Amino acid sequence: MAVVEVRISLPYKGMDPTEIAEKIKEKFPDEVVDVTNFRDQVSVIVKKDRIVDICRYLHNDPLLLFDHLQDLCGVDYHGKKDPRFEVVYNLYSIRHHHKIRVRAQVPENDPNIRTVTSIWAGANWHERECFDMFGIVFKGHPDLRRILLPEDWEGYPLRKDYPLKGPEPEKDWHGFIEVLNRSKELKEFEWEE
Amino acid sequence: MMAVGASHYDFDRFGIIFRGSPRQSDCLIVAGTVTKKMAPIIRRVYDQIPEPRYVVAMGSCACTGGIFRTYSTVQGCGTFLPVDVYVPGCPPRPETLLEGMMKLQEKMRKEQARWSPWR
Amino acid sequence: MEQVEKIFETRELNVNMGPQHPATHGVLRLVLDMDGETIARVTPYIGYLHRGIEKLGESLSYFQALPLTDRMDYVSSMSNNIGYVVAVEKLFGIEAPERAKFIRTIVGEMSRISNHLLWLATHALDIGAMTVFLYCFREREWILELFEMICGARLTVTYPRVGGVRNDVPQEFLDSLYQFTEEFPSRILEYETLIDQNRIWLKRTVGIGVISAEEAVNWGLTGPTLRGSGVPYDVRKHAPYDAYDKVDFEVPIGTEGDTYDRYRCRMLEMRQSNKIIRQCIEKLPPGPVMADAPKFTLQPKDKMMPITHPTQEHAFFIVEKACKGCGMCLRACPAKAIFGEKKKPHTIKQELCLGCATCYVTCKFKAMTIVPGGKGLSDEKLAELAATPLPEEIAKASEYLVKHFEFIRRGPKVPDGEIYVATEVPKGELGFYFVSDGTGKPYRMRVRAPSFVHAGVLPRLSVGHLVADVIAVIGTIDIVLGECDR
Repeated sequence: MAVVEVRISLPYKGMDPTEIAEKIKEKFPDEVVDVTNFRDQVSVIVKKDRIVDICRYLHNDPLLLFDHLQDLCGVDYHGKKDPRFEVVYNLYSIRHHHKIRVRAQVPENDPNIRTVTSIWAGANWHERECFDMFGIVFKGHPDLRRILLPEDWEGYPLRKDYPLKGPEPEKDWHGFIEVLNRSKELKEFEWEE
Repeated sequence: MMAVGASHYDFDRFGIIFRGSPRQSDCLIVAGTVTKKMAPIIRRVYDQIPEPRYVVAMGSCACTGGIFRTYSTVQGCGTFLPVDVYVPGCPPRPETLLEGMMKLQEKMRKEQARWSPWR
Repeated sequence: MEQVEKIFETRELNVNMGPQHPATHGVLRLVLDMDGETIARVTPYIGYLHRGIEKLGESLSYFQALPLTDRMDYVSSMSNNIGYVVAVEKLFGIEAPERAKFIRTIVGEMSRISNHLLWLATHALDIGAMTVFLYCFREREWILELFEMICGARLTVTYPRVGGVRNDVPQEFLDSLYQFTEEFPSRILEYETLIDQNRIWLKRTVGIGVISAEEAVNWGLTGPTLRGSGVPYDVRKHAPYDAYDKVDFEVPIGTEGDTYDRYRCRMLEMRQSNKIIRQCIEKLPPGPVMADAPKFTLQPKDKMMPITHPTQEHAFFIVEKACKGCGMCLRACPAKAIFGEKKKPHTIKQELCLGCATCYVTCKFKAMTIVPGGKGLSDEKLAELAATPLPEEIAKASEYLVKHFEFIRRGPKVPDGEIYVATEVPKGELGFYFVSDGTGKPYRMRVRAPSFVHAGVLPRLSVGHLVADVIAVIGTIDIVLGECDR
């Protein structure tokens, strides 16, 4: 039951991100498409087929040990790049204090990718949100349904071809149209000034 | 709203208490943004309040949608609820909300036959 | 015997703790499947406050998207702003001056204390200790008054800006804050005497919601929720930003991983924040509060004062010869004071004109002039005066006005790339992932909210406990639905 106050000091810096990218390239030479470096943050762009093996290697290898999945999100490059979607994994190692970013390319005609919930349990809700916003299906996910929008909403909002103001009032979500109709019916019982 | 209920700006001295259930209350304060997913639920809670009942829309998002003109935000709870007092501000200061409640009390004093069976 | 068993056959009981509920902090819906009073399964449903902030951020420039971040975690909005600003500064490649960094650290820690006070108030209120609620709000009022002193707003401040902070702090703010840091430890002692060794509190929090260190890291927990389980991860130490590497503080780490340890972590964190604020006030260096990078930050508005704060009323007038009739000013005018048909010169109705200068900055053909002191004069007189050249200060101010307007609307020229920056907000780790494509608006703005991840671990923490413990667990993971749903 004791809570102690510790002075956290980081004894060593951890591996350089470019070295980690090199290690991934050595181990999976066919999968890596590109390595970019912007403001000392390195991303490794990979194909989506063996993403689970890459993530498992990053999680289990004793020199890398990426145990903290900081973020899992999707990006839509509509019109800019050919595989339209990308699923971005931001990883950090609490033990070794180094970070890396892995971007998996997902094409538009076949938007599915395997789930990493078997490696990091926290990816569960992140993947549900990615499905909700972009329509990317995660194969093997225990419970893939919409999380932020109502479950029978049509359309994927964060895609670039979805309007910001939403669908037209006639084609809106049926639950909201029902509320408006009901309030119109009940309006005759209210006081008119 | 919680700051209004605490001791610095006390709500209790105006005779206003927070209740846990709609069946035991008179007024519904809609605070914060109303989304399309939440709208049916607010309407259902409003329908459960026995008459005489009043609605206060607190905050810019509840009044008119605020800065969120997006696919999932309802542009004001006045589209599906009959609102009595609009309290603007983002967020409204505690004093503003108190003034809104006082205006509601004035409105209640002035009305006649609003809740009578012959309307 | 089977007949008797069939009559007493028990099924699981489904209870809906709906979105409108006094004990869920905001609009959170839980469906509890219970076997008697013990929980078998919890399914949380969120999304009742989803406002589409990420999509909205893609249509606004970096400066315009700053107020959106206030409204995500509306309890500690300074920390959200600091997280956004630190990420955008790294993307632009600029750095705030030293004084601004220290000021940001001070307000960040004040917002941490404010958040933990609200957390304690609501957590204790849910569990049943109602006096703590009133005590905590007494301190919180002091902090909110201090916020109002520096920037005018209590809750949704937009005080940290890209490149520094909005304005300098007055001396009475520092004096009052120093007074606060002297009195605060005794107040924390008051709260602790009320509940720390209280038998009811111990019974309701010890052993509830236990999670081990490896599992907590696997689930992606951060902040005091993780540190209660014994993992020494604090973004302020692992990847320091602002002035955190110049102050000396400790980080409380728990051992058991239950609700009581997380509670103790947060109480000790409040004491540490107090210490940090004291050190920052003592070490505060003099200097500017906004970075000197005119391409990437908003500069002060005093050069525009002759037009925006005139000594006499100005009138805006359209010169007929130069007007092409394109209609841009007509659409831009907020007061709808411009009339005219397409391809014919437009006119302004002076009675309706607000003097906001929106038409002036929108006109591409330079057909608009400002007539100083011309408010209330007739159209013919204005036409005469418009022919004379403008005084120099107004001409310079008007150029500056147009440039400033375009800069805010279009945004700065940002290099192509992507960046992920994490900061330590009171609830955990807030991460911003930006993808920029060279324009002034983010191509993708992703917010990694700690409350979203913590709400996902709710089913795991409350299985096997009783219904009343679910309330304690919701309180201990410290979620705010504005951040969870964005």
